[in-house]
Amino acid sequence: MSSKNKRKISRRKFLEGTGVALVAAAEAPSLAADDKASPSGPRTPIRVTVNGATHRIEVEDRWTLVELLRDHFMLTGTKIGCDRGECGACTVLADGKPVYSCSQLAVWMDGRSIQTVEGLAHGDQLDPLQTAFIEHDAPQCGFCTSGQLMAAKGLVAHHPHATEEEVRAGLTGNICRCSAYNRYVEATLAVAGTVPTGGTAKFVAAPGAPLAPLQTAGHPTPRIDAMERVTGKANYTGDVHLPGMLYARVLRSPHPHARIRSIDVSQAAAMPGIKAVITHENCTVVWGAGGVAGGVQYNDQVKKITKQRRYAFNNPVRFVGDPVAAVAAVDRHLAEEALAKIRVDYEVLAFVLDPEEALKPDAPQVWPEGNLSLNAQNEAKPIGQRRGNIEEGLRAAEHVFENRFSTAFVHNAQMEPRACVALWEGDKLTVYTPTGGIANCRHDIARDLGIPDEKVRVISQYMGGNFGNKNQNQDADLITAMLAKQAGAPVKLEMSRKEDFIGMHGRWPTIQYFKVGVDRESALTAIQLRGYSGMGGYRKNSGAIGGIEAFHCANLETAIYPVYTNRTVSGNFRGPEFPQGYFGFQSMMDDVAYRVMMDPVEFALKNMTRKPGEQAEYTNYTLEECIRRGAEAFEWKKRWRAEPGSDRGPVKRGAGMAYMAFRSGVGRSNAVIRVDAKGQYYVHVGVTDVGAGAKTTMGLIAAEALGVPLSKVKVIWGDTDRCPYSVGESGSRTTIMTGQAVVEAARDIRRQIGEKGLPAGNDFLTAEAAPNPTVAGGKVRNAFGAHFVEVEADTELGHLRVVKYLAVHDCGRIINPLTAEGQIKGGALMGIGMALHEDLLYDHQTGQPLTPGYYGARVLTHRDAPNIEVMFIESDDGYGPYGAKSIGESGKVPAVGAVANAVFNALGHRLKDLPITRDKVLGVLV
Amino acid sequence: MKAFTNANPRDLPQAVKLAHEARVAGHTAAIAGGGSDLLGMAKDHLVDPDVLIHLRGIKGLDRVTEQAGGARIGGQITLDALSTHPLVRSRYAVLAEAAESVATPQIRNVGTLAGNVCQRPWCWYFRNGFPCYKAGGNQCFSVTGENQFHAIFGGGPSFIVHPSDTAPALVALDAKFRIVGLSGERVVPAADFFVLPKQNAARENALADDEVLASIEIPTSSAGMRSTYHKILDREAWTHAVVSAAFVLVMDKDVCRSARIVLGGVAPIPWRVPEAERLLAGQRVTPELAAQVGETALAGATPLRKNAYKVPLTKAVVRRTLVELAARA
Repeated sequence: MSSKNKRKISRRKFLEGTGVALVAAAEAPSLAADDKASPSGPRTPIRVTVNGATHRIEVEDRWTLVELLRDHFMLTGTKIGCDRGECGACTVLADGKPVYSCSQLAVWMDGRSIQTVEGLAHGDQLDPLQTAFIEHDAPQCGFCTSGQLMAAKGLVAHHPHATEEEVRAGLTGNICRCSAYNRYVEATLAVAGTVPTGGTAKFVAAPGAPLAPLQTAGHPTPRIDAMERVTGKANYTGDVHLPGMLYARVLRSPHPHARIRSIDVSQAAAMPGIKAVITHENCTVVWGAGGVAGGVQYNDQVKKITKQRRYAFNNPVRFVGDPVAAVAAVDRHLAEEALAKIRVDYEVLAFVLDPEEALKPDAPQVWPEGNLSLNAQNEAKPIGQRRGNIEEGLRAAEHVFENRFSTAFVHNAQMEPRACVALWEGDKLTVYTPTGGIANCRHDIARDLGIPDEKVRVISQYMGGNFGNKNQNQDADLITAMLAKQAGAPVKLEMSRKEDFIGMHGRWPTIQYFKVGVDRESALTAIQLRGYSGMGGYRKNSGAIGGIEAFHCANLETAIYPVYTNRTVSGNFRGPEFPQGYFGFQSMMDDVAYRVMMDPVEFALKNMTRKPGEQAEYTNYTLEECIRRGAEAFEWKKRWRAEPGSDRGPVKRGAGMAYMAFRSGVGRSNAVIRVDAKGQYYVHVGVTDVGAGAKTTMGLIAAEALGVPLSKVKVIWGDTDRCPYSVGESGSRTTIMTGQAVVEAARDIRRQIGEKGLPAGNDFLTAEAAPNPTVAGGKVRNAFGAHFVEVEADTELGHLRVVKYLAVHDCGRIINPLTAEGQIKGGALMGIGMALHEDLLYDHQTGQPLTPGYYGARVLTHRDAPNIEVMFIESDDGYGPYGAKSIGESGKVPAVGAVANAVFNALGHRLKDLPITRDKVLGVLV
Repeated sequence: MKAFTNANPRDLPQAVKLAHEARVAGHTAAIAGGGSDLLGMAKDHLVDPDVLIHLRGIKGLDRVTEQAGGARIGGQITLDALSTHPLVRSRYAVLAEAAESVATPQIRNVGTLAGNVCQRPWCWYFRNGFPCYKAGGNQCFSVTGENQFHAIFGGGPSFIVHPSDTAPALVALDAKFRIVGLSGERVVPAADFFVLPKQNAARENALADDEVLASIEIPTSSAGMRSTYHKILDREAWTHAVVSAAFVLVMDKDVCRSARIVLGGVAPIPWRVPEAERLLAGQRVTPELAAQVGETALAGATPLRKNAYKVPLTKAVVRRTLVELAARA
């Protein structure tokens, strides 16, 4: 990282000539230190202008342009999201036109002029697009932002007054998994001088006590790190470059299920420049969080008792993509070449892909204990809950309805592929890794490697999205650390997009069988769900199917079977068990409403939860408000068809809704605040900001609690050596839990200042808070929401399009309206993608995945993204910082069901298997 | 990617000579136009060239030249330049629209017409490294596998669909393909350029090992000619055609004198439907006739287990596009 080291290398060969080039050389010294050690194929000298500075450089013919920019010019603002021309994160301008720099060779750039994100600003003067991106809060995680900026730059240069549709078309080669599409379009339109059609969120106070006004929090505030995100300066894991750093690659199983008879690494290890090779034979590290009994959070107890242990390298291998070996080399290409020299002798075993098939007696056994995943007590039992008496409830029903629904494996597909950089200094390990929970990640790494927590430092300054697959530690962290240890040098591992798709995890696919009873008044008397969740070869998380808490019903029973299969591993993804569960529950209830001839809004108002578990109280209750206000603002009565599919002609419209009640609990987290003699406050929090804006939220909460402007607050994040424990950015908990710790630390430091005054000279006052609040009186704290969707269906083409979308949410007090709205919009858009497009399809003959990647999974593009309207019902129930509740996952939870219900209302046919693709639509229509 | 040598030939004869020399020396060669797709394939080791012959540096291969009432279009023109070219837009809308429908702006800024026409299949079996016919193997995994996007016409033994958007447009325009090889040039009519798997299961066109597609010649545009390209995507941008239809009609007021209709996404080659075309000759295009044309176009389709939806879909595309095109002023 130190620029001193980067300058060590010889520039003589690569840079010459013009004064401009020399200036650029001084600013951006280039070429990796170990170049001479690399095996290198043919090279060619080229002359290329980058951001106005001309360079002469000898490039290897196979280097891509992005490789030249990132590895050799150290211009890391340009990102690699897919390396296949599918996502746009690597977009730069070549002679003024946007191109994918991953899909051009550096040698082809001879004589050409390249502009990267680093070349957009003139000194301190930002490009108008950069300013607009900040003001409109376009970047969430920021990983796609450089590409979006360059695509927008290329667009407005040629179409200075582009329309909204032209902007969508111009940016459509740039995927944003945070799905901040609306904001990117709005920001670009602002520069083009065109008024966008979408508006900003509406805020409505919940009935009851009015909200006390806030000074700093509660006002739309650009992110405190927005400048870094729009200038390419934000340092993501893959951007970390350490002196003497080696490059790693992982060899993965080509078989869905196989026993490794032997591995011969001798040829690979003998290659010059190969510094470490590890396999299951010489690296027996357990990856605790990678497969845990019962899908519960990994801990010492689980570690001790679990029978189903996952290692960094496993034998047998249980899915296509299971790591088999890893190498570290002085050059990234050499590492890849070494993989081809590793000889693995596999005994290929029978495999099973479908969870219901896997439970049949003669199914291939993924684990010796059987394919039903064991719980934390090593018992093969489904996950379930019961209330009342299901048989009685069904008996008492006037009507009983049954349905089967299924949901697909949907990959998190965060823009930043998994990466890790590991460095050992003596017995201290530093791991740069994208994680939403630095504290959990450190603890897990330490436990897996058998070293004390304090010997591990985890750093995550910026990360390119998370959505649930970047909490705890990942096998990439362990593999990189073990390679670095064996090599005695720092190692960087960057997964390819395909590896990320099959080697990380995505949402567990489910099969859901419902039986629901209603009485004569259409009130629920019984809800029964039997479900199967496909966990892949290891059980990384629970495999539950959620949503039953949204209904008021005396008799219910669920039994969910988490099942091992030989597919890639399933795990947490934005509202882990809920988007697929709510799709099932809300589709089921929509069907019941249809069959008893009731408007689904009326059915919801009749049957929705009013008391958790039918007994306790919510800390506040706004679900009815969300539904009623939403139905009114959406003009539900006008858009919903009492007779589904009744529009005349081939193009039909229809509306659907779904609502949710989602956990918003309080709990433990820590914060440290220091203040210096000048009254500058340093807020140390263990957040990394997965894209939701946690750094800014913590800053706003601190400023509010301290009674100072935001400029007086500096947030210190993302480094376990500098930050106290935080629960981690999963479960939509950071604002509530870490935010509350900030409030209490602020209170303490204000008290100290009140007693002692500000410190003098070099002194600091320090306050630490580690609150672990609980909700009083057995109450339950929930966020609420309701989504309303209008879909247009072209029944001859099987084409579905969301034409209107309103999301109404009670997320308590909104700390930053700018970023909160982005969370809801992004969740809703992801839900549309899950409902209509995404799947990791497998070939049943071979057990091979067929659609790993943005192209294959049909992740939404700019052109697919409608404007999402957002309405917040604001409340303060007295818990959390100023009444803040959970947001991050909420936006996605009801979205899938709402879209599917709208499709039913438009078509008059209920499509029960996700995703609802064209072949299925046409399959029921013609 | 494995190490390779990039070669920048000064002209096409030298390019094919380089390819030939590489092959004779026991090396593999690959031809790159814009390179987007080729580099992806090289990264996935679907091609492992020792020599990569880059054509984009050759001057003068990216022009549109008017000739004898028709046009000659250099194979190295980018899809973006093609889709915005005034002459192409005004006379050969079907080609401009097809080029505009490809992938994303970034890909159209580098992707070439020749590259688009000659790109390898996007069948997920081939792209995921299955040892299928297209990879030199002797099996088509789609037949008993996942075949949602596979052929309903002309399949066997491979059931890929031709991935190009511009190819159906060029066939509809009755274009000729000018090919440069070791022994000079040859010109191949569209009907002979694309090759069914029955003829050659490993390839999609008539290009030999040491040949490149140099340019495309489009015949005279008749008075009354109007054309369009309708593509069905699997999301709103950046997918290959689920199905598509290229239409070239010669109209005399509201009477259709002649028609060429070529379907994309349904067969291993751009799929011309002559019987459907014949129904239109000398007729007014009514909704009823258009429906009949759609039915006839899809007559004889033999869907696989999961792609039967393509039949009604393509019928609708043909019918609706025809009505819409005929009604254009």
